[in-house]
Amino acid sequence: MIAEVEALAEGALARIHAAVNLDEMEAVRVEVLGRKGSLAEFGKRMGKLSAEERVAAGKALNGAKTSLEAAFDLKKTAFETAALDARLAGEWLDLTIPPQGIVPGSLHPLTQIQNEIESLFFSMGFTILDGPEVETEFYNFDALNIPPDHPARDMQDTFWLEGGHLLRTHTSPVQIRGMQRLGPPLRMIAPGRVFRNEEVDPSHEHTFYQLEGMMVDRDVSIANLLYFMKTLLSGIFKRDVTVRLRPGFFPFVEPGFELDIQCMVCGGEGCPVCKHSGWVELLPCGLVHPNVLRSGGINPDEYGGFAFGLGLTRLVMMRYLIDDIRWLQSGDLRFLKQF
Amino acid sequence: MKFSYQWLSELVEDLDIDAKEVSRRITLHTAESEGVEVHGALLKGACPATVLTVEAIPNSHNVKAEVETELYGKKTLACGAPNCRAGLRTMYVPLGVKRVSGVDSDGMLASAAELGINSDHDGIIELEGELGLEADSIIEIDNKSLTHRPDLWGHYGMARELAAILDKPLVDPVSMELLPVGAPVQPVVIEEFGLCPRYSAQVFEGVTVGESPWWMQYRLGSIGLNSISNIVDVTNWVLAELPQPTHAFDADKIQGKIIVRRAKQGERLLALNGEEYELSADDLVIADEAGALAIAGVIGGKASAIGPDTKRIVFESANFNASAIRKTSSRLKLRTDASMRFEKAQDPHNTLRAIARAAELLEMVCPEIVAVGGPTDVCAELKPMPVIHLSLPWLYRKLGRELPKSQVIGILERLAFGVVDQGEALEVTVPSWRATKDVSIPDDLVEEIGRTVGYATIDPVAPAMPVVPPPVNEERRFYNQLRSVATQQGFHEVYNYSFLSEAQAAKLGVPVEAHIKVLNPIASDQSLMRTTLLHGVLKNFEDNLKNFDQFRFFEIGKEIHKQPEGLPKEVAHLAAGFYSSGGDGAEGLRELERLARAFAPTMRFQPAAEARPFEHPLRSVELYLDTMLLGRIFEFHPNWVEGRAAVLDLNLGPLACMLAGIPKKYQPIRRFPSSEFDLSVLTPARTFSSEVEKALRSSASNAVEQIQFVREFTLPDGQRSLSFRVTVANQERTLTQDEITAERDGMIAAIRHAGFELR
Repeated sequence: MIAEVEALAEGALARIHAAVNLDEMEAVRVEVLGRKGSLAEFGKRMGKLSAEERVAAGKALNGAKTSLEAAFDLKKTAFETAALDARLAGEWLDLTIPPQGIVPGSLHPLTQIQNEIESLFFSMGFTILDGPEVETEFYNFDALNIPPDHPARDMQDTFWLEGGHLLRTHTSPVQIRGMQRLGPPLRMIAPGRVFRNEEVDPSHEHTFYQLEGMMVDRDVSIANLLYFMKTLLSGIFKRDVTVRLRPGFFPFVEPGFELDIQCMVCGGEGCPVCKHSGWVELLPCGLVHPNVLRSGGINPDEYGGFAFGLGLTRLVMMRYLIDDIRWLQSGDLRFLKQF
Repeated sequence: MKFSYQWLSELVEDLDIDAKEVSRRITLHTAESEGVEVHGALLKGACPATVLTVEAIPNSHNVKAEVETELYGKKTLACGAPNCRAGLRTMYVPLGVKRVSGVDSDGMLASAAELGINSDHDGIIELEGELGLEADSIIEIDNKSLTHRPDLWGHYGMARELAAILDKPLVDPVSMELLPVGAPVQPVVIEEFGLCPRYSAQVFEGVTVGESPWWMQYRLGSIGLNSISNIVDVTNWVLAELPQPTHAFDADKIQGKIIVRRAKQGERLLALNGEEYELSADDLVIADEAGALAIAGVIGGKASAIGPDTKRIVFESANFNASAIRKTSSRLKLRTDASMRFEKAQDPHNTLRAIARAAELLEMVCPEIVAVGGPTDVCAELKPMPVIHLSLPWLYRKLGRELPKSQVIGILERLAFGVVDQGEALEVTVPSWRATKDVSIPDDLVEEIGRTVGYATIDPVAPAMPVVPPPVNEERRFYNQLRSVATQQGFHEVYNYSFLSEAQAAKLGVPVEAHIKVLNPIASDQSLMRTTLLHGVLKNFEDNLKNFDQFRFFEIGKEIHKQPEGLPKEVAHLAAGFYSSGGDGAEGLRELERLARAFAPTMRFQPAAEARPFEHPLRSVELYLDTMLLGRIFEFHPNWVEGRAAVLDLNLGPLACMLAGIPKKYQPIRRFPSSEFDLSVLTPARTFSSEVEKALRSSASNAVEQIQFVREFTLPDGQRSLSFRVTVANQERTLTQDEITAERDGMIAAIRHAGFELR
């Protein structure tokens, strides 16, 4: 019987090796290793053998079974690997085709710069306030120490509305609203849309964006203002900037300054951008005029402050080198898609 | 305002910095300089020359001249001046050799205009004696930075600044001993001292009106004042120097007293510029007993103007109320060198100084002139000079640095403030020309000291401030969230104007009266304030469809609505547009619905009761959150926009509050499986799925976790089949088949009750 088992095993092994696909091999497996297969048949005949013969036959039988199973598993893995390889080999894909579907839109450049500056100020403890675009004469002028006969009130600068109101000519009214709402001490900024009655051309708009800033506390000095402006501008321009203050007249501050930054194009050597002066005028600022503090309900004998106004529209034009201010409110997607 | 460097150097002793440096110092310490320009550039290297011979050039209006120059020897040149003749002494300018009219022309002979003296360009200058002029540098100061400084509208004021900055002595151009003495001759009456605090006048006789000397013409020309005549040039000189505006009347054309009064309503005056002005009672005039002679502080009248025959003049030097002058000048749209100065609030103490200076100059330009008597001087009681108490420790706290007391006192005194040292404080008296409106409180002195010592000497110091997280502006944060959702969905942000035209309003059927009107619009297409963002959206469609077949955009902006009283209501809206040049239009509308849901997942769409005229008649839905109407999605009627233009218009005010009010709460993950069943409902054509869903929900028990629309399908007969998937579950256990069937049966009953059938 041992010889028969060995012969069977040999024959089966040869057929496994010869199998060209999984089905052929499976047929051999069922025929030899299956429940009703040849090896099982030998098992049944074992009972008739002597004890001694049975041990030897059992050994032979198990040996045949083990070696056939191993050969079978090996070959099966080979078939599976080949099948997977064949599938993968057929799955070439052009991954360089640009993805289809929705291309993300864009935020308006003014929104982008506004967000940047807002988070910068927020990180320095400033509250972000809003104010109405339609204002009263009181908030836009009187409360800001702009007397009734100041040239800024002339018809050519201000849009007047029926009902005695006006379109705010600056974000400064929010200084007053902010002081009234928050009380001292306070730190606030107010970005927003402002209006001037001006003819529109590549560098002038009747609608543009400003950002007002104000800090009120005990003993606020010019040295503090300088520190803040320097920190702020380094944050905006993401580099160390050199600033200077020079006298500037604005009724709501005393003293009032024009703040210049050293030209970043030429580094102060002088170039067309800075009109060969080495400096670029950037923002008006100053110590808050006592009358303005009073309008905001704050006692100027106890508190002082500084305020500044940043031209967001101008900043956007500087950053992206935009040559015509009218693009910003054109709604033209050829322009807006670039941001 | 233009400043002559030569003029400034006559008033600042030992001015040892050049014009460029003067410009820089003024910018840093006083007012913004816009730059330096050369005046009379051709004077550099120019010299007198005598014409020796003149020879005609065939076929040319030029002549060939040989000249003997005083510096460069003999020169041959081509000259086109009609007065170029042998023996003429004129000015030669070396310019190098150029071929002109067939002549190798070496340099040129110059006209008075070319040399910067006046506008005379009719021929080359004719010299008697020496010209005595040199090229000057003109420093231009931005007028806006001088608004608050009446004193800086003249060279003397700017010279005082320079002298203070450089610590050099200041030279006063006025000698008061030259003020004529004697009894006043011209009677003057001021009706309202509030409008005219002071009027001084001096009569002169022996006048010969003629040209002023070249040095005067050149100096005035250099700062942009045209030479008119010797007498008028003196008034301009005083104006540009002191800077007191003055006026010369022909004394023989004045009848009786000079009266300073309000104009009569409708009173007319023919002014020196040839224009006739109709005046009102708000305007101030200088009149005589017969009528108005001049518009006070603005412009003189033609009838009393000096002319070639004038023999006697009344020289006016007065002070007027600043805002009255400004009102008149802006109402008449007439800004003159005088009105620009008066509207800055001039110093009433300056009128007699101007007459003293004028007397000196008049004698230079018109030697036979004689003062008649002394000046008439009618004057209100002038306010005493304000005294400011300046605490030094307070000053140093404001500056953020300390200074030696002597330096503070030195600066103030150089700027002509009176100082009394009181130890820790100073009593500071403001000079009259700074007291009109410029300096009145200690804060003003912080500026005087800070700017003069130089802001560059102040080092930045971090402020001591509490570390507290600032309150968050929730509204802005919400808008930014919306922006980022919209851009993720492919929408580009636009900014539109707040203005619109009446035609635009009509286009969307909004009555003009519903808008707030702009009283002084720049253009008629900007005369109303927007009450909706849709006008902008419509324009965005129209403009962009020329360039793109498909595009998406959005705007967050404010609608401005009229209120019966108080400020208008400003309502933030988000408007989004989706455009496609072709297709059935569903894509855009669906995408906007997706966007609205991305903003607020519980947003509900309900068919609009009625389409507005500019909407597709069958394509508009209202957007609800709970029961609140928040917006609308619609397609523009093809008569408004060609192609498919879908719009979302969302009111952000309540949305922000409502979303902030919905707290997010964790639901435990179910431990028991849910079950699902599908229902396909057959409805008549054009039945909204929301109606079917409403019916399904009406019967849903607590076990219903979700009712989800799956698909739609239109049958050949037009009926619609709408399929929904219902998910049912229980937190505590698995639902039994009976329970699920009961739920399903209930819904089927509800469908039938609503008039639909199961398919």
